[in-house]
Amino acid sequence: MSEAIKIENNLLDEKLILGDPTFHSITEKVSSISEQKTTKEWLLAFGIAGSLLMLLLALIAYLVWEGVGIWGLNNPVSWGWAIVNFVFWVGIGHAGTLISAILLLFRQKWRTSINRFAEAMTLFAVICALLFPGIHVGRLWVIYWFFPIPNQMGMWPNFRSPLLWDFFAVGTYFTVSLLFWYTGLIPDLATYRDRAVKKIKQKIFGILSLGWRGGNRQWQHYEIAALVLAGLSTPLVLSVHSIVSSDFATSIIPGWHTTIFPPYFVSGAIFSGFAMVLTLAIIARRFYNLENIITLNHFDKMAKIMLLTGSIVGYAYAMEFFIAWYSGNIYEYFTFTNRALGPYAWAYWTMLTCNVLVPQFFWFKQLRRNVKFLFAASILINIGMWFERFVITVTSLSRDFLPAAWDYYSPTIIDILIFVGSFGLFFTGFLLFIRFLPIVSMSEVKSVLPQADPHYQGGKK
Amino acid sequence: MSKEVKSAKPTGKKYWQSLAELSDNKDIQAVVAKDKNESNGFSRREFLNLMGASLALAGLAGCRRPVEKIIPYVVAPEEVIPGIPNYYATSFQNGFDALGLIIENHEGRPTKIEGNKKHPSTLGKTDAFTQAEILNLYDPDRSTAVLKNGSPATLQDFYSTWNELYNSYVSNEGDGLVVVSEASTAPTFARLKNEFHRTFPKAKWVIYNPVNEENILNGVKQATGKYAIPYYNFEKAQVILSIDSDFLFHESGSIRNSMGFANGRRVKSQNDTMNRLYIAESSMSVTGGMADHRIIVKNDQIADFTIAVGKELVKQGVKIDGVDQLHINTLFDDKFIKELVADLIANRGASLVTVGRNQPDNIHALAQTINDTLGNIGNTISYTELAENLVPNSEELDEVNASTIIMIGTNPVYSATSSSKIRNIIESAEHSIQLSSHVDETAQLVEWHINQSHFLEEWNDTQSVDGHIGITQPQILPLFNGISNIEMIGLINTGEFTKGYDLVQSTWKNIIGGDFQTNWNMTLHDGIYSEQIQTPHKLTANRFRINGSFDAEQNNGLILELKPSAYTFDGKYSNNGWMQELPNPVTKLTWDNAALMSHRTAKRLNIKNEDVIKIASGNEYVLLPVWIMPGQADDTITVELGYGRSSIGRIGNNVGQNAYKLMNSVNNFLLTDIKVTKLGTTYSLACTQDNHGMNDNKLADNAIQDRLQNIIREASLDEYQNHPDFVEHAVHHPPLKSMWDEFEYDESPQWGMTIDLNVCTGCNACSTACQSENNIPIVGKREVRMGREMHWIRLDRYFTGDPDNPEVALQPVACQHCEMAPCEQVCPVAATTHSEDGMNSMTYNRCVGTRYCANNCPYKVRRFNYFNFTKDMPEIVQMARNPDVTVRFRGVIEKCSYCVQRVNVAKINAKNEQREIHDGEVLSACQQVCPTDAITFGNILDPDSKVSKERENNRNYALLGELNTKPRTLYQAKLRNPNPNLVEEHS
Repeated sequence: MSEAIKIENNLLDEKLILGDPTFHSITEKVSSISEQKTTKEWLLAFGIAGSLLMLLLALIAYLVWEGVGIWGLNNPVSWGWAIVNFVFWVGIGHAGTLISAILLLFRQKWRTSINRFAEAMTLFAVICALLFPGIHVGRLWVIYWFFPIPNQMGMWPNFRSPLLWDFFAVGTYFTVSLLFWYTGLIPDLATYRDRAVKKIKQKIFGILSLGWRGGNRQWQHYEIAALVLAGLSTPLVLSVHSIVSSDFATSIIPGWHTTIFPPYFVSGAIFSGFAMVLTLAIIARRFYNLENIITLNHFDKMAKIMLLTGSIVGYAYAMEFFIAWYSGNIYEYFTFTNRALGPYAWAYWTMLTCNVLVPQFFWFKQLRRNVKFLFAASILINIGMWFERFVITVTSLSRDFLPAAWDYYSPTIIDILIFVGSFGLFFTGFLLFIRFLPIVSMSEVKSVLPQADPHYQGGKK
Repeated sequence: MSKEVKSAKPTGKKYWQSLAELSDNKDIQAVVAKDKNESNGFSRREFLNLMGASLALAGLAGCRRPVEKIIPYVVAPEEVIPGIPNYYATSFQNGFDALGLIIENHEGRPTKIEGNKKHPSTLGKTDAFTQAEILNLYDPDRSTAVLKNGSPATLQDFYSTWNELYNSYVSNEGDGLVVVSEASTAPTFARLKNEFHRTFPKAKWVIYNPVNEENILNGVKQATGKYAIPYYNFEKAQVILSIDSDFLFHESGSIRNSMGFANGRRVKSQNDTMNRLYIAESSMSVTGGMADHRIIVKNDQIADFTIAVGKELVKQGVKIDGVDQLHINTLFDDKFIKELVADLIANRGASLVTVGRNQPDNIHALAQTINDTLGNIGNTISYTELAENLVPNSEELDEVNASTIIMIGTNPVYSATSSSKIRNIIESAEHSIQLSSHVDETAQLVEWHINQSHFLEEWNDTQSVDGHIGITQPQILPLFNGISNIEMIGLINTGEFTKGYDLVQSTWKNIIGGDFQTNWNMTLHDGIYSEQIQTPHKLTANRFRINGSFDAEQNNGLILELKPSAYTFDGKYSNNGWMQELPNPVTKLTWDNAALMSHRTAKRLNIKNEDVIKIASGNEYVLLPVWIMPGQADDTITVELGYGRSSIGRIGNNVGQNAYKLMNSVNNFLLTDIKVTKLGTTYSLACTQDNHGMNDNKLADNAIQDRLQNIIREASLDEYQNHPDFVEHAVHHPPLKSMWDEFEYDESPQWGMTIDLNVCTGCNACSTACQSENNIPIVGKREVRMGREMHWIRLDRYFTGDPDNPEVALQPVACQHCEMAPCEQVCPVAATTHSEDGMNSMTYNRCVGTRYCANNCPYKVRRFNYFNFTKDMPEIVQMARNPDVTVRFRGVIEKCSYCVQRVNVAKINAKNEQREIHDGEVLSACQQVCPTDAITFGNILDPDSKVSKERENNRNYALLGELNTKPRTLYQAKLRNPNPNLVEEHS
């Protein structure tokens, strides 16, 4: 036996899916989640999420009515929680695309169990993200001026502005993510169509599955489409957050004006995205008894990725400090000492603890496979990554060049409630997704079952 | 109409409340009770909504010509072209001085006040107060009608009442008749006052101002035997000693003083010299910030300091009678006094000793004598003799016995001291009458309240301290049919109403010779009569006697020093939003007064910033938040007067605390017997600058001190002369290269500005002028506290040097108009762009409000309209708006435009006349108002322009120039001129 085959066999030996399911049992398991009657738990969760969404909408209406003065912004700190939340949500989105695109290209088959809801998470996170730059402008009603619409004044947007790049980058990202997610859904939607009992369901899933019959050629096209979309998404994973980071990096403000930002932001985004996937996966796995599909191996692998990206983020923190000192620029140096020791030191140390210290525990295998620990860690990392954006955005602005203009920023209750409300938006979308669509990619999971091997001989070697 | 009148009192109607919310004034008592300093309530920033007043004004639309005829626009007056302002001269009597003014008038609506270049008191300049008068004119809380016992009445009712009283007082020669007025030297006022005394020989007239020049006058009288007003020529003074005198800011004549002082200080090159200023004061003042040597003297030791200077003069051979007999209890820095006195003597005839108005008269007397012995009188100091009947006598207010008391333009109930009997006097008088612009504290008690006209609405006249007379000509018909002070006095004197126009004319017919009508018209046109009617007196002050005790009450414990508020002054400007929101030049506080104390005293009393303390004097007390100030004398608490109004209007009511009631007599601003208790609660103050370099926060303080040398470059005159290029070496940075071909700004004109930090005093006149010119909204205390003040030009103030006696570093910062503007590159919709003439322009209509530009501005000069700050602006306040400048809507960024509207007017005129724009044709509002000419604006490509010449000065530097933003505004480094013999000690 050649080495290659040996490795292949070893990989196959490591069971991605536990419990020796059959194709049919996978279908049953996943479909039942959406086909069962609405559970009380779901209704409760949806009720909470929906209420928060209503709160968000009401606050947005108030915001548009009154003006962004209802937030805690002030003269030096013109960007506050809205932008922090924007970067936070965009960052979260990254994990989905990374899992479905980059890991697809790298043929990491373990991704199949988690890619579907990771992608869904991406979509809803990006929707939340897009909300914030929208509502944070002073005059929402003229926001269409961002679009390069030909007009009688010959007035174009300013293509030099990173905000405009942002607008295109996030927009593209959302479109491609949506397409990718939907393409992946088609075979599963067809399964739902075929299993549907009610006429209306048949109709809807019939339309959504775009006439999928599972034929050979369809599979062939499907595989190629997935590959092409993965190819398109991969650079986007890197570009979106690089461009988001250029909102800061291209500016002149000490603490923002840094070339390390693009890679630092991308790894931070993946870091936070994985943390969010982990949080959601642990909850979903438990509620829908998916322990055999989403296994400890998955968690183990995700923890490793978080260890890597978390360490990159930690390195970036250190490097920022070093360069601030090494540059000899007094403004730059002060910004960083001020972060660590100034009025926002509490935020800085929260960030450092959550983002640098917590992932270091992932060096230990027991902890990587300890669900409770992972859940706690993932929440902490989410908090830490939110604070990272807060520290970057607010501390730099609140104390920049001229000390006379310095001011302390603190959020108002509205700032906080809008952020809380954005979770309502996120979870409303996510819960609807769980309720009506297959949360695990059935077709892809089946493809990594031993039975999918053409040489499969009924469990015998 | 009656409803509006009542508006000054709380009416419970919702729309009356919004303006009061602006001040966000919470009763400090309530704060203490609740121990809570924040209220929520989201509607607080809703502005004034005043439908009634606008209705009242609807009938007033029409022509406002400075003639006594009304010409409706059906027959359009020839001079009025819609859209093109007219300018009319007027003048404004302010105590013993007059300010010559030019008023910008849009279609009969005055919108902007400037100084009159022909008038010696202003020379084209003004101050923050004068700028704010335009808003006083359009104050929606002004009294709009006559009130009898609080109910609406008419002027006719009052005339008939007075007519009866008049006859009885004429028959008893005015026995029991008391008039209280403010100080004035105006010719018609003086004439009418004489007439009054002739008509009512037994009547009493009290000239009363809560903050006044009486100590100065009495001091001069002591020294010279005559009541005379000293005024100064700082330009000639080489060495100045200020004894608690804030002559650059708060003493009368501050515009004239600032101009002279700046001229004596301006340095064109390293070959120039400059004056030297010593100051002894207990609380940091604007003048103290400019000083080359500042010695902190506890207020109750100021007398000792003055005597020590006198004794040292004697020791160094100057003869001053009587000084030897005086003894002092305080030890001062011998070397400082020795060198100071040597410096004064070395500059005989070119030195000046000036004492603050709040200091007692004998200190003034001694200072005038010192000036005399140094030969300064006639050189740096002149006197105008004051007619005996114009001498103020505020103290006598409490001694009057009135059957009828008439208060003309005064509000003695508000400024009543603890010993004052004014309430009793008013209440026990049979008749009490008040002429006042607001239904104020006094108006609540009087029988008759008559609404007073604003000086921009009335005929009057003025006399400046150096004897120049001018006419106050109305710029608009009285908005609320008020009458002027002279009309009131005329009515009192004759029992009949005479128009101000006729009163002034009949005065002037006796003053001006030649062809009356021609001279009258010339005076109206020029704003000043061509001849001085009174020339300076050359008094000799050798009559100095030890008159009364010099042993000021001294106290080893805490003392309380009271001084007029920086911007509400004695309370007169309390209802003016611009003034309430203008940061105090020293403390940077707005919308409140506070108890200032030194760091050490606060520590000793275990008090932190914003802790509330109770200051008690006798039976009276106030509760005030503490504000720790560098440069404050230990054990001295300084509190500003002019706050705590209870009845002036929605802006000023309940802002801060009234400290007048702590005073135990008029003109005594120093309290040595006070009790201070800490109350264990805090009160939030609205400060526009949290960090000044000495905040007891090591991290921030060190950072600020590190970068101050970059931001505000400063050297001593000596260092400058030895290293004329010192500014270039303040910051070393790599060569500034651009990555692309930049736009060549080579087509004339290219606008630029220079700001000379060496003469900027930090008076904030620029900020107010800018607010007036550019329709900048006020945002209220809550928004200021949130850090959202809107001023386009702000004054940054830092403290440097010795923490026990710091120096002040000041810098006015507005948009720098960077050629490589960081804001322009980041705006996604290109709302801020560069004009071809080099201005960073803001297109409000295009702005979406991402605020990215504000973030990316290294100078942080961009301001955002967080709310629709002008939403409910009543029509009457809208009348103060400059029609040439867009009023910005909510959600857009705004900032300094280099007064682009003025540039464009000049451009259009130049184009029509097919010529270039002349240098000096465009003045930015801040430049025009600046009493020290610190700001120069013009075409930097014109080699002959003033700004080009200023830019050649080797003290020029670009603020944060190392960022390669290429600002068009350049700063000129600050210089100080310390006495070389004192340098070691004070560096």
